[in-house]
Amino acid sequence: MTTSATRSPVPRDHPAAQAAGGAGGGQHRTPLVTRLFGRQPIGMLLAAPYAVFIAVIFAYPIGFAVYMSFTDYYFTAPGVTVPHPFVGFDNYKTVLTDPAVLASFGHVGIFLILNVPLTVALSLGLAVALNRAIHFRTFFRAAYYVPYVTASVAVVAVWLFLFSSTGLVNQILGPLAPDPSWLVNSVWAMPMIALFVTWKQLGFFILLYLAALQNVPKELYESASVDGAGAWRSFRSVTVPGVRQATALVLLLAIVTGANLFTEPYLLTGGGGPDGASTTPVLLMYQQGIQQGKPSTASAIGVVLVILVLIVALVNRRLTERSER
Amino acid sequence: MTAPRIQAQPGDEQDDDRSVPVVVATVTQGSRWRRWLVMGALFTGAVVFLFPFYYMIVASLQRSPNTSVGGAFPSLGNLTLDNYAQINASLNLWQSLLNSGIFTGGVLLGTLVFGVLGGYALAMLHFRGRGVLFSAMLLVLVVPFQLSMIPLYVLIARDYGLGDTYLGMILPFAINSTAVFIFRQYFLQLPSELFDAARIDGAGELRTLWSIALPLVRPALLTAVLLTFIGPWNEFLWPFLITKQQAKQPLAVSLANYISTVQASTVNPYGAILAGAVVLAVPAVALFLLFQRHFVSTDLGSGVKG
Amino acid sequence: MRPSRPSRRYRHGLAAAVLAGAIVVLTACGSSGGGSTDAASAHGPIKIWYSNNEQEIAWGKQVVDAWNTAHPTEQVTAEQIPTGKSSEDVIGAAITAGTEPCLIYNTSPAAVPGFQKQGGLIDLSSFPDGTSYIETRTGALAKQYASTDGHYYQMPWKSNPVMIFYNKDLLTKAGVDPTKPPLATYDEFLATAKKIVDSGAAPYAIYPAPSSEFYQSWFDFYPLFAAASGGKQLVADGKSQFNTPEGLAVANFWQQIYAQKLAGNETYTGDAFADGKAAMAIVGPWAIAVYKDKVNWGVAPVPTATGMKADQIHTFSDAKNVGMYASCTNQGTAWDFLKFSTSQEQDGQLLTLTGQMPLRTDVPATYADYFAKNPDYKLFAEQAARTVEVPNTANSVEIWQTFRDAWTSAVIFGKSGVQQAMTDAATKIDQLASQK
Repeated sequence: MTTSATRSPVPRDHPAAQAAGGAGGGQHRTPLVTRLFGRQPIGMLLAAPYAVFIAVIFAYPIGFAVYMSFTDYYFTAPGVTVPHPFVGFDNYKTVLTDPAVLASFGHVGIFLILNVPLTVALSLGLAVALNRAIHFRTFFRAAYYVPYVTASVAVVAVWLFLFSSTGLVNQILGPLAPDPSWLVNSVWAMPMIALFVTWKQLGFFILLYLAALQNVPKELYESASVDGAGAWRSFRSVTVPGVRQATALVLLLAIVTGANLFTEPYLLTGGGGPDGASTTPVLLMYQQGIQQGKPSTASAIGVVLVILVLIVALVNRRLTERSER
Repeated sequence: MTAPRIQAQPGDEQDDDRSVPVVVATVTQGSRWRRWLVMGALFTGAVVFLFPFYYMIVASLQRSPNTSVGGAFPSLGNLTLDNYAQINASLNLWQSLLNSGIFTGGVLLGTLVFGVLGGYALAMLHFRGRGVLFSAMLLVLVVPFQLSMIPLYVLIARDYGLGDTYLGMILPFAINSTAVFIFRQYFLQLPSELFDAARIDGAGELRTLWSIALPLVRPALLTAVLLTFIGPWNEFLWPFLITKQQAKQPLAVSLANYISTVQASTVNPYGAILAGAVVLAVPAVALFLLFQRHFVSTDLGSGVKG
Repeated sequence: MRPSRPSRRYRHGLAAAVLAGAIVVLTACGSSGGGSTDAASAHGPIKIWYSNNEQEIAWGKQVVDAWNTAHPTEQVTAEQIPTGKSSEDVIGAAITAGTEPCLIYNTSPAAVPGFQKQGGLIDLSSFPDGTSYIETRTGALAKQYASTDGHYYQMPWKSNPVMIFYNKDLLTKAGVDPTKPPLATYDEFLATAKKIVDSGAAPYAIYPAPSSEFYQSWFDFYPLFAAASGGKQLVADGKSQFNTPEGLAVANFWQQIYAQKLAGNETYTGDAFADGKAAMAIVGPWAIAVYKDKVNWGVAPVPTATGMKADQIHTFSDAKNVGMYASCTNQGTAWDFLKFSTSQEQDGQLLTLTGQMPLRTDVPATYADYFAKNPDYKLFAEQAARTVEVPNTANSVEIWQTFRDAWTSAVIFGKSGVQQAMTDAATKIDQLASQK
């Protein structure tokens, strides 16, 4: 909010300016309270419940997971004390040289390459179209939202049926159908999952874009078309920059969802797919951590995954977000 | 883009039933053709999106499973509501729905109350620890549940003793971080003139929050509700871990239990499963249909313009 | 002030991580252990879990009622847990949190080594009559359920010996004799299967689940391996036993089935046998109640290479056992209840209500009346004396997952040579089995 204080012509000794700390204005008189707690310490109060929630619900489990990744750990019943020797980076070495783990990261990469651009393009396009449709708007919005709302467990059964070797899709495609069929084909398994997740999540992103589109001032469109811009041009120069914040959010959410993919490979390709062609890191974490009782390597996979995603997310922010206030 | 409509105000396009006098400067053949193209694309998309759901409903109404292509079209001889009756007989549908409602309601309450406050603080206010909190929020978004599952279970079931309670179910989901992120983005997007005006008038932060920010946050609230609702409503793994008493289990868990036992005892297990899925999905869709009208309306424009 | 944003955020992120780490160190140091007192002779109320399938619920309710009427001061409360894929995960989590009950009537033998490692199971041999009771009741088969230290950490309870079910109508349609179909040797089985599919009677001859979960091999490879090897387990004494001519013959047999498309290689939603999509299935006696009205079924033992006689063929037991868990304070009552629920009378109830075979010696003779009235089950009862269990070894789940990954790659999808895949799996499994 610094810009506002410097922009509006507020006299320096006005109480509001003083309360705001008069950034850029007041020189040596930053009060102690401000130095200790920031310019609007009430913020701490407002954010406190959320902060406490995070500290209590996440700090311990995540910290514990990190701790496990550096030791040889397994869960024991209460009262059973077992040594948990510190093993340094051994778990990380094991994990990063395991071909199955590396393959799973590769699969997530394939997924992201397919899913993220498709999601952004389709959801923005459909949101723009929806915004301009006057008839049946409710029907369309409901139609696109419905897959998002239904539980994966249920919808998977329908997709398995549709894409099985005797399913509707193959019957339509006839001789063009791949053999083995889609979901058991090691080339097509992951793209199919990408398609499924795109379809399922699109409704939510369309809604995000719809909301963002409302905030693009109409005058910009009007002036663009007065200047003679066609539909595509005004889309590119008015719409896309206008929804930039929403795009950043969509990108972030799509990337995070893709990286943490678990339910769909678990259900759609029966726990890892044909010959492990659709394993994901979180699936491996579940298998190793919970089924096989090796939470230390599972946590190592998890930490590596989180770091990678954070890097991607930070890059994303640098590229797409404007300066914040 | 069709030629500009003179006299159109923001928010107009929601008024489906009020006809707005549309005076167009020029209407070319191209633009009408383009409109039909848009509608066509939307229709095709809607069909593609709805087909699996439609198939779910049809299959859930079948008496005996018909997995051929012809089965996609309901045939009168094969229709029955038995699958739904079966579900109601096998699990206490209303109790499960109630549990789902309590679980989801608790999460919504936590998110809408504390999440809005947190998002506002993160966006608008400068305080010590703001950066740390923001980083922590991003971290929470990024970390998969499976990484924290067991320690979280130990924490809640053993250390806090909240096994088999609603609070234990709600706690890990109490404030949805994506919603907080959305609130923060939303507040950042609001025109700063509004807040400056309030500050000039001498309003303190709390008053600004109450009179200016909160009334404006409605669209973001609705987005957040739609987003936050789905998680706990469809969530299976956590309630499954934390509750053993059937009286406390939400619908998603009861249905999953039902699925694992229904194979043996019904004629059309596939149909029964899909019937359960339809039952699970209907309230969410209904909620959306009820509120979607308000979803994209905004009075923001009028606040900014003169 | 406008420092470069990424580095400030990085610093804050780092601060948050350090804070979290500090919290964790404090928690790890201060983690409490519950004191375990000598509860072996304590008596009082206990809690149990059993599976949520309809027939087992019926059995569970009546055994709990019978006990509670006779023991008003030692009441048993029962809850259901789902039998699905996640039940072992739930039990493992409950052990960690100390919230599991005294007895769980749904303990998978494959999960026992893991639970034991967690310190979650109570050594039943520590009761004065522990070992003798188990071995008297279950006989020679009991040894398969002992842990590597020779003690029993699980009570063998019931088994579902798997055999080949076939659909008599579909076989007739295919021109195969439904009363004595040629299914005894691999060659015969393959020929019959081919006949079924070629004639169009059913799209597939048999349809075991082709997915990659660690336990799926129990229903395609393992029964045939048990038969072919005369009762050997996958692993024994820390060494794999399947990379042998018999094991390879089994693998090659299945590889042929998949290669000739006699079984499907994608997951079928629903029951392929009940839907008529497959003419045969590998299942246990629980299937009798399921298929009673849906399919006109017949049953045969699993095939072997040379066509062994039926009374010498082994198979997989698909057993579910009872464990006593560490959080139990009234272990005296738990042990008494355990013996009560596995008495001859209660085992008879189990048989009557669920059709599953109690793991006790000489079931056909003990319950001759029942089998006289229900001859369908007799064959399974006889087979129940010759079952092979999953090996009780360290890293049991990981071993089966390794095996399954090799199986799907080589046998189901033909991506690699069977011999090579089995050898690689055996090497890895040897390593896993010999760890502590």
